[in-house]
Order: sequence, then C-alpha cells, then structure tokens
Amino acid sequence: MTVPAPVLRAERVTLGYGRTAVVHDVSLDVTEGGVGLIGESGSGKTTLARAFLGLLAPMSGAIWYGDQNLKKLDMRRFRRDVQPVFQAEALDPRMSAGASVAEALPRKERDRVPALLEKVGLPAEVAGRRPHQLSGGQRQRVVIARALAVSPRLLILDEPTSALDVTVQARILDLLAGLGTERLLITHNLAVVSRLCRTAHVLFAGRVVESGPTAELLARPAHPYTLALRDAVPKLGGAPPPARGRTEARPAATGCPFRLRCPLAVAACERAPEPREVGEGRRAACHRAEELLS
Amino acid sequence: MIEVRDLRVRYGTRTVAHVPELDVGAGECVAVVGESGSGKSTTLMALLGLTEGAEVSGHVRVCGVDVLTAPARRLREIRGARVALVMQSPQAALSPTTRLGVLMRRALDLHDVDASERAMAEAVEAVLLDPAILRRYPHEVSGGQAQRFAIALALALGAEAVLADEPTSALDVTVQAEVVGVLRRLRKERGLALLLVSHDLALVSTIADRVLVMKDGEVVESGPAARVLAEPSHPYTRELLEALP
Repeated sequence: MTVPAPVLRAERVTLGYGRTAVVHDVSLDVTEGGVGLIGESGSGKTTLARAFLGLLAPMSGAIWYGDQNLKKLDMRRFRRDVQPVFQAEALDPRMSAGASVAEALPRKERDRVPALLEKVGLPAEVAGRRPHQLSGGQRQRVVIARALAVSPRLLILDEPTSALDVTVQARILDLLAGLGTERLLITHNLAVVSRLCRTAHVLFAGRVVESGPTAELLARPAHPYTLALRDAVPKLGGAPPPARGRTEARPAATGCPFRLRCPLAVAACERAPEPREVGEGRRAACHRAEELLS
Repeated sequence: MIEVRDLRVRYGTRTVAHVPELDVGAGECVAVVGESGSGKSTTLMALLGLTEGAEVSGHVRVCGVDVLTAPARRLREIRGARVALVMQSPQAALSPTTRLGVLMRRALDLHDVDASERAMAEAVEAVLLDPAILRRYPHEVSGGQAQRFAIALALALGAEAVLADEPTSALDVTVQAEVVGVLRRLRKERGLALLLVSHDLALVSTIADRVLVMKDGEVVESGPAARVLAEPSHPYTRELLEALP
C-alpha cells in the first residue's frame, strides 16, 4: 500500500512571537481522513494553525504544501486551496449571510450562493439575514459555506463548535463529517477529534507529546498527558478523577515539560524524552510509554 | 437551604423562566441543565434577587431569607457571605490592582467576618491552592485558579450555599475535573448546598443528586440525576443526551 503524500507538512517547525518560541521543533503531516491537534490553552495549537495557513512564518524549520515550501509559494493559489474556519465571530455584522458567502465567489459565480447555503443545511431565506439575526449554529454554517465557496482541498478548523450548544454542536459535526473535504482540526475536545479525525496529535507546552490513529491513541494512551486528558472528560454517570491540585504546575523548563504534573514522573524525566516510535503508526515522547501501553 | 415554589421571571409579557419547584438542602447538589436561552441563568440570578428590570413572582427562600420580599439590606447580608455566587469568569470581577489576599480580607471585613491569616490560608488550601496565591494579582493566576479562589472566598466567608453558573465551561478539561473534584469534596466535608447551572449533562451526572432540565423558560423534566439521565421521559432530555459526544 502506498501512503498518500501529505497535503501539508510541518518539518521541525519552531514558532513564536518576537523572540519567544511557543511551539518547539514540531514535525507532523496533515494526511487524509482528518487530522486533529489536541491541546489545552497555551499548548500552541492555534499558533500551529496560523503557521499552516501561512499567517505566521516559522522561526526555524519549514511548512511544506506538497513539494513546495510555503515561504516561496504563490499565496493566491494557496489561500484558495487551504481555507480557515474559525469561531463564527468572523462574520461582518453589516453584511447579510448571502453577501458574506457571495464575497468569496468570483463575480460570475455568485449565483452559487443558494446552492452553498443548501450544502451547509441552511434554508434559502437565511441569505437575507445579518449575523445578529442568526443563531450561533447558523452563523457557524455561514462561515463554513464561505470557506467552501472556493472549493478548497483542506479546511483548517480552529475550535469550530466549542461555543455552541451541544445539540447544535452535534449537527455541525455531522455536517463537517459529510463534506468530503480534507481537514485539520484544532480543538481541546477529544470527542470532536474522535468523530472527525483518523489521526491525532496531542500537544503539551508547544511540543507534540503523542501521535497516532485517534481510536487507538484514546483507547490506550502512550503518554501520561493523553491519559490525564482522556480521564478528565466527564462521563455520563461516571465519577470524575480525584482532584490532586496539580494542574497549576507550569510546564518544566528542562527535561520533560509534563514532569511536574505527571503522576508517573521518575528521575529519568529530568532528561527530555525524544518522540519515538512506540507501536504501529504511533509515536510518543515519554520514557515510560511502553509501561503505559503494556 | 434553598426553597423555590412557582417562581416566574417576566420581562414585559414574556416569561423567561418558570420553575414550579426547586429545593436544595445542606450537602446536596442540584443541577439546572439547558441550552442558551433556556432560562437557567435567570433562575439562578432570581435566587439572589439579581433580576433587575424583571417582574418576579412566586416564593423564593434562601438561607432563611424570603428573597422576593426582603429589604435590600437583608439581601446584602446573605449575598456573598451566606450564599456565594461563582461565575464563569471570576477574573472579570476581581479588581486588577488588588492582590487576592487583600481582596479576600476586604470581603471578610465587608461582611464583619473575623478571620485570621491562618483561616484565610486554610480556605485557600481547601480548594487545593497554594496559600502563596494570596500575594498574587488577578492577572497572575490562571482561569482554574481564579475559579477555585472564588470558591475559597465563599468558604472563608462561611457560605452555606454556593450557586455556580457554568463554573467550568471556560476551563481546560483537566482543570475542570479539578474544580469539580473540589466542589464534590466540599459538599461532603462541609455540607455545602450546591446549585449548579450547566449545559453539560455528562459533567452534571458526576456531581448532582437531582437535575432540572429547562427549555424555553420551562422546566421540562426533573428528578433524581440517575433516573433522569438513565430514563429520560422528555424528548428534549433525550435529545440532549444523544447530542453528547
């Protein structure tokens, strides 16, 4: 079986603002079937999304689109191929939904607006309404319709549903799952990733600490942080994990960044673990990954 | 601790919340669940007499005070001191130029609570924070720390009931688990009455004894959490449960 070439690739990318690096030496491929970047506030996931969109140049390393370095690419073309979908606040409050979608289309194709609205499950009359006359879920659908207007290859979605009510969220996820467009999804919500992404990468303090097929990664985490994330998600009728008062520990400046919060930390963790293969298609940056998996 | 009968909150002719019955006793946790616009937050605000501009009718008794008829002075005595309100983003309510310890001391003075430095530190430790946080400014603490500080403040003041409006929805999931863990413990150890407003049924199921499900201002279903979540009788509750990822 030949592995399809990644749509986008980060190669040893370090990103930051000013002189402060917030993403360190990250390599990952955006492949078919959906890729999820999972992380909590400050993990660097949105910074990575910005770099993948060509909005932030790496301090070192490179982002590749096919075989071309993003730095040297014709951005007009790229911007059509790779479209962002952020939270719905990105709509112009003075423009009707229809005008917002039409703006993304070439003049000759503006008659496609009704078809695009239909594709995202919106009734035709929504075209005449402004954002404040729409519900949160409808606004998010307009944002998606706008992104789809240019027939992109890849959608980069940053927390596309986290501000929505759960019933609305479920319907937006159904919509995204049925689109057939490739996607890179950035979220703190593990359930959203398992729904939409075949592959997942877990970020902690600007580093990828674990990667692998989503289902396996969540069923049998190879990194204590993935385990902590998974077990912290409240389950219907389940008990929450005991509060330990550890979450405020800052990422360690040396060695494994997670070690000050890690229940499994040992002396060896003062030495930074390199990401390494821990199973078929799985990588983890933890000295004790094998113990976790066994 | 909290007793509500036939509470109605109206703006003009529109009823935004109607709660026939709601009781929270010491050491109990009741959750009001619903989506945007369901009236869940309005209900919570009405318990503290904080629904300005609305017409409120019915019977609301909180810590022995009849909220709808009590004079403002009487309400100020219970607000904060006996009934604490924990909001989604407590940082917004903390003065940015005041260290948390000074802030706590002022709140204690305001309610004539005589607490030693030691007692303040203990309140902070009870929510799993390092007492050193009392020397910090609001911008120097994380969202989860600020949330727990708000709970510590309630403890230092000797609150008997905590009303929490989406206390953890802005927090990362590992931090959320920690805040919920703290609330669960305080309920048991100190007999705190807890009224939780949330849209997250899974979260609610890990802590609440009873659940009220609200939709468009009305309570569509209520009962013991285990029963409502295992055998929902209203289609909307079923829809909420099915939407859970």
